[in-house]
Order: sequence, then structure tokens, then C-alpha cells
Amino acid sequence: MASEDLFRNDYSEEPDLGQEFQKDVEMSAEMAEHDTEDVEKSIGQNGTNSSPSVNQPAAKSPEQTKTTNGNKTSEHEHDGKLTQLPMGRIRNIMKLDPDLQIASNEAVFAVTKAVELFIESLAREAYTYTAQAKKKTIQKRDVDLAISAVDSLMFLDGALNF
Amino acid sequence: MVERIEDLNLPNAVIARLIKEALPDGSNVSKEARAAIAKAASVFAIFITSSSTALAHKQNHRTITAKDILQTLNELDFESFVPSLTQDLEVYRKMVKDKKESKANNKKDASTGDATASSSSAVVVADSEEAA
Repeated sequence: MASEDLFRNDYSEEPDLGQEFQKDVEMSAEMAEHDTEDVEKSIGQNGTNSSPSVNQPAAKSPEQTKTTNGNKTSEHEHDGKLTQLPMGRIRNIMKLDPDLQIASNEAVFAVTKAVELFIESLAREAYTYTAQAKKKTIQKRDVDLAISAVDSLMFLDGALNF
Repeated sequence: MVERIEDLNLPNAVIARLIKEALPDGSNVSKEARAAIAKAASVFAIFITSSSTALAHKQNHRTITAKDILQTLNELDFESFVPSLTQDLEVYRKMVKDKKESKANNKKDASTGDATASSSSAVVVADSEEAA
């Protein structure tokens, strides 16, 4: 029952990735969009129809200026967008393993993503106990219950009690 | 390498956001529960790392790869993570490749840019000499 919950596949990551792609397209088509924006603005000034299509580019423009402001920083933002957790921090945690000699960047990325999925599934699992108690706020007790109920979380037994 | 122990904690704000994304609207997390989940996440990272290094060593590999991580997740009953991770990895590989290409392009641009930059700094030097 509860353990099945942990292994659901409907992670909310996919829409994120979609946005990522969208942003890619947006950035590559930046120049073109600027042109169309100007055109649409001038249409708006001619003032025949103040439809949402006129408002949209205006609402978008701050985002565009953010991407145009510096191509160097936008590359960094790209890194941050693929993973929400900082990969450098994860690499430091991984280096705690004395047997680890070298970890490829892809391995660090995979661990980072896995940890994100882990946090989400543990939260979901804990929330089933919160909901059972007819509460809205997850308490530490719910997390403990989730950990002791799911076999694959056995490795956490006792790890959180200090 | 790690100077302070805090460098090993995962950022609270990101943890909170990830938890919130996983939960239905209107739900909340207590501070203690969030701390417990954050700790569990760090332990999970160490856990899969050490399992993956063991796996890589068994195959006489010195470097652990994404493949080792995926295989470890399968063995440790986290196989539900693998499909979405495989997808993410593809996106990541593509991003790294694109970055490399754009870097190569930038290098070309930079070499011309450097020329203008150095000439402008030369002007600055000349200016300061004049001032002196």
C-alpha cells in the first residue's frame, strides 16, 4: 500500500524539462522575438485593438531583458535549471566516501537528480501518514513512520537520530 | 576539501521547494520534518555513492559513471527513479555538448574581442601617463 506510493512514476519533473526546452528555443529566437515585439508594439500604438496579444509581449519583456543582459550568466542559469540542488554540494557529499576515486560529471548529475526524486518521494510517503492523522502539516513523526514502513528506506534506520 | 561542516548540508530553501512540489496544495512541512528529510537526502547521497563505488571497483573501474549510479538504484529498490533519470541524463548530455560547441564558438569571438579589449586598455594606460 504505502510502499507503492513511493514508487509512483508521476514525478513532476517533466513539465520542468519542457520549460527548459522552451527557454532554449526562446533564447535562440531572442533576436527574432525582439523584432516581432517591436512590430507588435507599434500595432498597439496604432491602437485599434488592445487585445491580450498586445499585452503578452509586454509582459514577457522583463524576462527577455534578463536573458539578454549577459550571455555569460545565462549559461550558469542553465546549469542551475536542470538540477534544483547544487551539484557542487552533492559532489562534496560524494567525496566523503573514502573509496571514491573519481566521479564523472554525469555520475554527479545522476546522484543530484536521484536525491531530488528521493526527497519528493519521501515527502509523499510521509504525507500519507499526515493525511491519515487528518493533518495538513508533515511532522517528524510522519517521516519516521514512512522510513520504518518502507523496506528500501531501511538504510536510514537510526541515521536520523542524532 | 570541505572546509566547514555546513558545506555538506543541502540548501534548506531548495529542500522546502522540492517537498512542496511533491505535496498537494495547502499542505505544509514542520521544521523538524524538513530537517529530517534533508538529512535523509544527504544520507541517501552517501548511500548510493558508496554502493556505486563498490560496484565500480568490482568491475575494476576507477571512475564511477552515471551507468553505475543507475545500476545501483536498480539494485537498491529505487528502480522507479531510473526512467526519469535516464531522460534527464539525455537532456544533460545534450546540454553539455551544446555548451562545448558554443564555447568553441565563443573562443573565436573572444579572440577578436580580446584584441579590442587590449587596445582599449592601452588607451587607458596612455591616458594615465598623460595625467601623470
